[in-house]
Order: sequence, then C-alpha cells, then structure tokens
Amino acid sequence: MSRPGFVLEVDERTPPLLVHEGEGFRLQKFPLGSRVIYPPDALPGIKDVREAIRRALAHPHDSEPLEALLKPGMKLTIAFDDISIPLPPMQEPDIRQLVLEEVIELAAQKGVEDIKLIVANSLHRRMTGDEIKHAVGERVFRSFYPRDLTNHDAEDHANLTHVGTTDQGEDVEINKRAAESDLIVYVNINLVAMDGGHKSVPVGLASYRGVRPHHNVSTMLHSKSYMDPRAGHSAIHDSCARMGQLLKDNGVRIFTIETTLNNEVFPQPFGFMNKREWEWSLKEQATYLAAKKANDMAPPKLRHQVWMRVLSPYGVTGVNAGETEAVHERTLARLHQQQLTEVNGQSDVMVVGLPFIGPYNVNSIMNPILVHCLGLGYLFNMYRNKPVVRPGGAMIMFHPVPWEFHQVHHPSYVDFFEEVLSQTTDPSTIESKYEQQYATDPWYIHLYRKSHAYHGVHPFYMWYWGAHALDYLGDVIVVGGNPKACERLGYRAATSFRDALEMAGDTVGRSPSITYLHVPPLAIAEVR
Amino acid sequence: MGRTTKRSLADEVRNVARGWRWGRRPVAPRTAEPHTPPAEPWSFPTDWARTPAGRAARDVVLSGVMKPIVWNETSPDVFGLDNLEGVKPPVMFISNHSSHLDATLILTTLPPKWRNKTATAAAKDYFFDVWWRSAFTALVYGGFPIERGGGEGATDKAKELIRDGWNLIVFPEGTRSPDGWMQRFRHGSARLAIDMDMPVVPIAIIGAYAAMPKGRFWPKPGRPPIRVRYGRPLRPEEGESHQAFSLRMQRAIAELFDEDRTSWWEARRRAGSGQTPKLSGPSGPKWRRTWEGSRDIARRGRPPAWR
Repeated sequence: MSRPGFVLEVDERTPPLLVHEGEGFRLQKFPLGSRVIYPPDALPGIKDVREAIRRALAHPHDSEPLEALLKPGMKLTIAFDDISIPLPPMQEPDIRQLVLEEVIELAAQKGVEDIKLIVANSLHRRMTGDEIKHAVGERVFRSFYPRDLTNHDAEDHANLTHVGTTDQGEDVEINKRAAESDLIVYVNINLVAMDGGHKSVPVGLASYRGVRPHHNVSTMLHSKSYMDPRAGHSAIHDSCARMGQLLKDNGVRIFTIETTLNNEVFPQPFGFMNKREWEWSLKEQATYLAAKKANDMAPPKLRHQVWMRVLSPYGVTGVNAGETEAVHERTLARLHQQQLTEVNGQSDVMVVGLPFIGPYNVNSIMNPILVHCLGLGYLFNMYRNKPVVRPGGAMIMFHPVPWEFHQVHHPSYVDFFEEVLSQTTDPSTIESKYEQQYATDPWYIHLYRKSHAYHGVHPFYMWYWGAHALDYLGDVIVVGGNPKACERLGYRAATSFRDALEMAGDTVGRSPSITYLHVPPLAIAEVR
Repeated sequence: MGRTTKRSLADEVRNVARGWRWGRRPVAPRTAEPHTPPAEPWSFPTDWARTPAGRAARDVVLSGVMKPIVWNETSPDVFGLDNLEGVKPPVMFISNHSSHLDATLILTTLPPKWRNKTATAAAKDYFFDVWWRSAFTALVYGGFPIERGGGEGATDKAKELIRDGWNLIVFPEGTRSPDGWMQRFRHGSARLAIDMDMPVVPIAIIGAYAAMPKGRFWPKPGRPPIRVRYGRPLRPEEGESHQAFSLRMQRAIAELFDEDRTSWWEARRRAGSGQTPKLSGPSGPKWRRTWEGSRDIARRGRPPAWR
C-alpha cells in the first residue's frame, strides 16, 4: 500500500526542498507556513504485465473480446501514442511494445493479414526510426517498419477522410486508412488526465482541419481545467467527446487499450528525486551533492545529452481495454489514485519548478515557448475544481528559459518567437492575426511532412495552452530566467526566489500565502 | 571560477545539512509526521568489537585514552576488588547509574583478566541511534544494544553473550539518575540473572553524579573525588522470584553506600537489623533531592599542600 499524497506546511524542521529548474535542480528554502503539495508515493507496478494485457484483451469493458473482433480478410489499423508520452521516455520494454505484441499475436492467430501501424502524432513531429523502435520494440519494428508502420501525416490530403461535422460545427477529419478500417485498435499511455479517451483517435489521427475546432483560444479559456476531463469542466474534452461520438455514429469501430504508469520517474542513482526530502538517506544526500555539482560544472551540451538519456523505470499500474468511454473512466480512476492530492483552498502565490522535459522536447530543446506551455499550460492546470492560486495571484517558476531553439524540430517556433511574440502576447490577437499564415505556410508543411518538424501551427497551440493562466494570473515571475526571453514572453525574471517573492509583493502583498507544487513526479491538486 | 565553485560547493553542503541530522533519521516536518512511516528496525552490528582484534583495540583505548582522562579529571578510589577472587565468570556487574562516567569507571577499575571478557548493555535508543555513537559504544565499552522497555527478545543478545562466557555490565535503573539518587530497579536484570543462574556483583559508584551529572559531557573542574566499591557477589536463591532478587540487588548497593559513609562493621550491623538507609533520597520537592544528590562527597586523606 503506497502512501497517499499530502500537503506539507513548511516549519522549522523542514529541510530545503528539491526544485527542478530545467536541466538542473536545487535545494530551495521556503518561507515558514508555505504549503507544499506532494504526490502519492509510487503505486506498486503490476508484476506480470503481459498477463494483465492478455486479461484486459480477453475481458474488455463494454465490448467483445479483441479475439472475437479479429477476422481473416479484415482491415486492421493499430494506432499508438507518439513520443510526447510518457515523460521521460520509459525504459525498455515500453508498455506500447508489450501491448502491440499481444495485439499482433492475436491478429496473427486469427489470420488477419492487412495490418497497418500508425504513430498517432497528429501535428507533432514525425518520430525517427530509432524512436519508433524504442517504443514498439525490435520485433514489431523489424516486421512492419517502414512499409506498414508509419507516422501519421496530417497534411497528406489524399490520405485523410472527412468523416463529418458535429452538431457544434466541428469538422472531424482523420487518417483515411484508419477511418476505412474494419477496426482501429488504439494503444494509449495515460500519463496525465488530459490524455486518452476520445482525445486519442479524433486528435491523434486528425488533420489541422480536425484539430482546429478545439485547439483554439476560446476552448482553452473554457477548459478549467483541461486536466479535468469531466463533462462541463473542459471544453476541449467536450469537443473531443462529440467528435468521438460522430466517429462511432459513422461506423468507425475503435477498440481502445489504455495503460497507466506509476510515479517512478527517476532512475537510480537519481532515485532521491522521487522521495520526500526529509526521508533522504545519507547516501542520497551525498548523491544529491555529487549530481548537483557534476551537473552545474558540466558543459551545457554534455549536460543536455545526459538529461536526454534519462529513461524512467515506470511500473505499469493498470491496463484496460474495450469501449473508449468505459475504458477511460477506469483509467482516470487509476490515474487519480496515483496523482491526486487534496488541497484546502487557494493561495496567493503558486510556485513550480519546471523539469528538463515536456511533451514536445523529447530528444530536443526546451525553447521559451515550450517553457510557457509547460509552466502556464500544463503545470498551472494540474488541478481539479479550481486552480491552486487565487484569481489575480502570482506564479513563480524556476527555469533558465534559454533563448535556444531546435532548428530541425521547431522551425516555426523560431519565427513565432521573433515575429509574433515581439508584436503581442495576447492569445486572441495572435490567433486571429497570425495562425492561418503559419498553418498554411508551404515551407513549414514541407518540413512537417518530410523532415522532423512540428507543424507550423504548433507554437500557436503552445501559446493557447497557457491562455487560461495568462487570463487568470496577475503576475508571472521566473527565477533564474533569461531576462530578455522572459520579457518577450511577458514574464518577469528574478535572480533568486527571495527576489521573486519581493517582486510578487506588488501583486499579492507583502505576506502572501505560498503553495509549491512539488513535481515531478506529477501531482494533480484537488482544490477544495 | 575555481573560487566560485568552491564557495558554491560549501553552500550546497550547508544547504543539505540545514535542518537535517546527519547519519540519523531526519526529523520529519510536523505536518508530514502522519505520512512518515516508522523507521525500519535495524541493529548496529557489534560482534566485531568482541573479536580478539576488537578486544585488543578496546584495551588500548581504555588504558591509553579513557583511563588517563578520567583519572586526570577526577580522583577515583577503588575498594572491594578482592570480592572477585574465587568467583567464576561469567558474572553480572550491576551498579547505580548517575553519570556517563560509570561504565568507564567500572571497566578501568576491573582487573584486566575480567575486563577483557566484559561487555556493557547499552540502551539501543540512545547509544545505538547513529553509526558513530554506536561504533564508539561497541569499541570502547564492548557495548551491545538492549531495549530499555524490555519485550520479547530484548535479552536474547545478552543471553548469547553469557553463554559465550562474557561478563556483563548492567545498570538496572535503565537510565541515568536525574538527581543523583538511585531509582527503582527494573526487573529485567534480575530475571536475566535467574534465567542464566549467574552471580551478580553489586558496585556502588559514589560521587560520579557530583563529578559529571546528567547534562554534562566533561567532569567538573577540581578533580572531584569518586569512590567505586565492589561488593560480595549475590546468587539467586532456589525459588527466589525476580522481584525479590531485584530488591536484594538494590539493598546490596545501598549497603555499599552505607559502608562508604560509615564503616564496614557499622554497615553490616545495620544491614543485619534491616536498617540500611535507603538510596531513594529525601522526600519533598524535586529541588531538594537534586540539591542533596549533587552535594560533593568528602575527600579522603590529607588535603593537598596547595590548591
């Protein structure tokens, strides 16, 4: 039985607490009385994962067993989540590999011959061969890549199908092969509550036309929060649910397989980062000191390489299969068991340390726009009911915010940062004035399809993810941030946490209440 | 650059050390206490300290370091070692316990052939809580951990040592006296002596509280006098309960105190008529007991020619 999450109140016994700051970390003292939200301890992983997968496929929720759905001569498409989850990537074997092998084994036994595997990367960059191999395993990769195992192409109009329009006027356009298949099997990893459910097929296999109806400023401002996919709480999930229903109504058969992971984020010898600071052993204290000094002294390139090689020793905590909504309900229950922590009331200041990785910089660089997305997009939204911070409060983040971009992965980000953010940071203005131009730019489309670039419109979405937080917060301060980059983002940079609190005093007064969201491992605050 | 790195390393070490107890389980913040699991039971290994090499090292430390320090800082006198003649080991040495000097005084006054095979029962929660204190206790005192509260298996290690022929030093009060007066004996030591059918040698340590009471970690200046009196060995009698034997052990130490205060003859007479003064101290407010308990004992012999 693992321990549930809890809220610590900093007292004189509380040691300095671990705070991530990009490709670095520190021990930071917090003012007495500050609250710290800790996630539950890692749930025990399933011992025999393959057996759990077989059981899930044989006893699905609100569906016939997968074996009964597989028939000779059928057209089977297996789609799976791309490199954006889990974070950091999982140590081998990746759970996608285990699920895919079981599904393909069943298909082989049942005489299915027409099988295509598609990476559901939507408008994300195409995964490289090595990245795909890591996710699906050598056996699947050797059998299907590259002919029958491909990245989804959201700009290949010959291979997209417009399935219909929802009653809210939302276009549903997805991968043609998937839409025309007798069965789509979707293999998901549910890292956060935002993932999975109807967000898998209608978004993961969609085109720009199919993504635009919910990836916009209005939807984001009405998603409070998009980490709370209950109907009525998140406009983006409501939209995805409508799209999912439309697919169902149009005869697109989906068999969903969702998996959940535990909180074992950091491998040894960095296991101390998974633990509460006052429980660190002498060895872990020494490891912290050694790792901290080595990390600080390492050349930036080497440091980056080391961080990008971190693979998490996650344990699998749940495998559910069957009808999408029935599966997702169980998946969310398991996810909440691992991540939910109850918090009483809001505070004036929310503090968060941004880790080295987000969904869009795996094997890449976390540029300033991704910092915005991770901080004000994802981590600000790690709540249910209401945000951790009060309306008009301040958010203090720790990150160096380097003025640095990956030229292959994020070409449109560079231009967005230079051309758009230099003019305005208002999401609505950006959307109305610039989005179309970037989304339809032939060079960005070419790079998305032929290179490994994110779609031209992707930086806009990153900015929209933070629209709710921008609208809600009174001040955003980044400790250790590059002042020029922060200024471009509309933030303020502070050299130390003390300075940041001093600066936040303009917004929240001299003695603000402070809540530190201690992530990773991830926690969702259930704010009462 | 190098200077910055050095300074920041020192800062980091200070940061890590701040509010933490090195080598010991850190204190959890108050709001985290309900969420912090109890420490896993763990016992510091002490057998190494009773190997020939450990015994040789202990002999060097006791004779070369501890005894010179204690004998230089206090003026101990030892009486009654002749009571050990003819006694067959293993035996249990019991004493009143009022100072950290007690175990050192016993070990440094015992004849080498006895000391060489003597181990000290030390409270696990105090002497074996951090590795460095555990190592010190094991090396210098031949210490082994014992649970103060008793319970199942609390004396297993003691029994194992007795079977191996080791003498034990046990303080039946369980902890140092807060006011210099002897506290009630816990019955574990009497029960152990009965179970193992072993002789018990009572020892009275007089003046150790005045020299270095609880709360001090170095003797008071002025070489305060201390007297260590060994008594005749006691043996559990046939059918004697552990409660009765425990009372007899207390009385034996009280008689040694009486002997020290008056004379052997007078003390024996009072013991014969059951009039040995108790060592529970005066009744009344706490300060009075402390006041009387911390009174310096009289120096024996001629006063020094100069002070």
